Amino acid sequence: MSRSTPLSNRIENWLPRLVLAPSLLVVLVAVYLFICWTGWISLSSSMIVPKYDFVGLNQYVRLWSTPRWHTAVFNLFVFSTLFLALTTGLGLLMAILLDQKIRVEGTLRAIFLYPMALSFIVTGTAWKWILNPALGVQKVVNDLGWTSFVFDWIAQPTFAIYCVVIAAVWQSTGFAMAIFLAGLRGIDNSVIKAAQIEGASLPLIYRTIVVPMLRPAFLSVIVLLSYIAIKSFDLILALTNTGPGSATEMPSTFMYSATFRRDQMGVGAASAMMMLMTVAAIIVPYLYSELKESRDGQ
Amino acid sequence: MTKFKRILLAAALGLPFAGQAMAQTKIEGLHVWTSASEVGALKVITDKLKTMGFEWQDSAVGGANGANAQQALRTRVAAGNPPAVMQFLGFEGLGWAKEGVLRSLNDLYAKNGWKDALPPVMLQFLQQDDTFFSTPINMHRQNWVWANKAVFDKAGIAIPTSWDELIASAEKLKAIGVTPIAMSDESWQIEELFESMLIDVNGPDFYKKAAIDLDETALSSPEMIKTFELLGKVRGLHDAGFTGRDWAAATNLVANGQAGMQIMGDWAKGEFLAKGMKPGADFLCFPTPTATPNYKFVFDTFGGFKIKNADIEKGQDAVAEAIMDPEVQKKFNLIKGSIPARLDVPMDDFDDCAKRSFSDRVAAIKNNAIYGSLTDGFAVEPRFSGVFQDVVGKFFVTDMSAEDAVKSLVDGINNAR
Repeated sequence: MSRSTPLSNRIENWLPRLVLAPSLLVVLVAVYLFICWTGWISLSSSMIVPKYDFVGLNQYVRLWSTPRWHTAVFNLFVFSTLFLALTTGLGLLMAILLDQKIRVEGTLRAIFLYPMALSFIVTGTAWKWILNPALGVQKVVNDLGWTSFVFDWIAQPTFAIYCVVIAAVWQSTGFAMAIFLAGLRGIDNSVIKAAQIEGASLPLIYRTIVVPMLRPAFLSVIVLLSYIAIKSFDLILALTNTGPGSATEMPSTFMYSATFRRDQMGVGAASAMMMLMTVAAIIVPYLYSELKESRDGQ
Repeated sequence: MTKFKRILLAAALGLPFAGQAMAQTKIEGLHVWTSASEVGALKVITDKLKTMGFEWQDSAVGGANGANAQQALRTRVAAGNPPAVMQFLGFEGLGWAKEGVLRSLNDLYAKNGWKDALPPVMLQFLQQDDTFFSTPINMHRQNWVWANKAVFDKAGIAIPTSWDELIASAEKLKAIGVTPIAMSDESWQIEELFESMLIDVNGPDFYKKAAIDLDETALSSPEMIKTFELLGKVRGLHDAGFTGRDWAAATNLVANGQAGMQIMGDWAKGEFLAKGMKPGADFLCFPTPTATPNYKFVFDTFGGFKIKNADIEKGQDAVAEAIMDPEVQKKFNLIKGSIPARLDVPMDDFDDCAKRSFSDRVAAIKNNAIYGSLTDGFAVEPRFSGVFQDVVGKFFVTDMSAEDAVKSLVDGINNAR
């Protein structure tokens, strides 16, 4: 009898660790070990299959002398910035509007959230047709009588990347909206009422009280959307297939084609490491500041 | 009694083993063929294999121009579980042969005299250091023009004999309200056009220097600039809806008369035939116009991975023998749209386009004017042909000058060396 208590205590202590151990192991091997392996490959002369020699930073030099990689980096920057800004902004706006206790909120929420249920392949293919000047928007408007209307961004190398932004924003805004809506519902109504009694206008209340209180929701949205932006691969392949003339190349599509199509595994690994460093440079400080503050707050 | 029982037992135990020995050994083949004509053509090989006592276990991985299959293969070789037989295009097989993972077929080649039955220019893709590792089933020709005969007649166009004439006829097609050239903004489809111009305008010897030997003087020469300028003339000769168009969709534009012609390999022929159109009567096939006739090829081969299992090795030999069987090559290519890899297959049952391809091949072999297609991976390794693709694709869709294009081509090739 007297020994059973420490035993159950011990089980209680060990159970969480036991349960977490397999997933921790999987993460260690599948994520961190392979990051190290990719780093190693990026310093080797690997072409069709991995080769474990050492050529210094040659593959990085080769990578940065490839104009297509410059396009990819530039596109990632343009795409992520616009995608994050538009999706967050529109998502927040829609969430605030939906939060005004309107009648068909449930239906509207479902409609806005529905694109998220589609895969990026479907979104990409659909928008490929919508944006095609001979099939989609331009043709419809032309047929309606406005014959001089031109909307052929998808055929213009300088504008094609914005087409990708449009499709991605269309797909992800509902998702951002859902998270913001949940955040809004979590805000105590009495705070808003108190501000109203003080005579604050509704826009002012939202700007100075509600939006700052949504900080945890912003954290989730930004982290999840950045991750969608950086791994945006299927959308590009379905929508533009990196065309026209590699104008919508992204680091992820570059890495895939270098590794699997062009037998340049070393260059592919180098580009993967560059992506990792870019992500780390942006996300780590942000996460650090956000998580540190919340810990201080406790 | 006990003895009888024991015999019964032995029989009962032995039978399944006997049955297993009788059952056909399964030979797994990884390939990229998924369209109706491709699957139908493959069945010719697998049916033959069945009569030889082996069952084909099909692993088709389609999509992404074969990149998906390459990815699947890499994973499986890395895991030590390669397929018995793999389809190879261009340099893919050579890459694996250099890694030393492919089985030698030298005995079969020597025994059956296959080497002499094949176009000599093919051999460099079938062997590595004098070891044959794969067998070819077909040969596609890359440099074809596919045209709608009714549209050509309406515009009063004859078959062009030079690229300048072809571009002039395209202007005529534009004048009667037809899309002159059916194409896509996909870089590889533009490159099909570019590489035809490269060899047609500058001759086969220049093509070899520039696109196969990657000679820097040839790559940066005025001839190269001239070729890009010629490609630039095609910029306005397509329709606005060419973004992301599939090659087969472009072929269909020609087939139903919305466009005049398409420059594409003879895998396009199947699209016309599927609509019941007849070569010569409904659609025209002619080589891209040139003063120096040439032949640019693409072909499919199958090679076997080293697997320590005598039955599978026998099966791999059977696959090679089935592929090299003249009757199989004939039936296969009647469905696939290409011509037999073997030079000794009678062509009587084939259509006019295939007959033309066959006789042009014989002439090109004699004149040293037969070379691998750049776009489809038979000229240089993928890391180099990718550079051509990048530059040509970008040049076509932007207002890049021919000089800049040549400069970035040379820089890109040097960077990939």
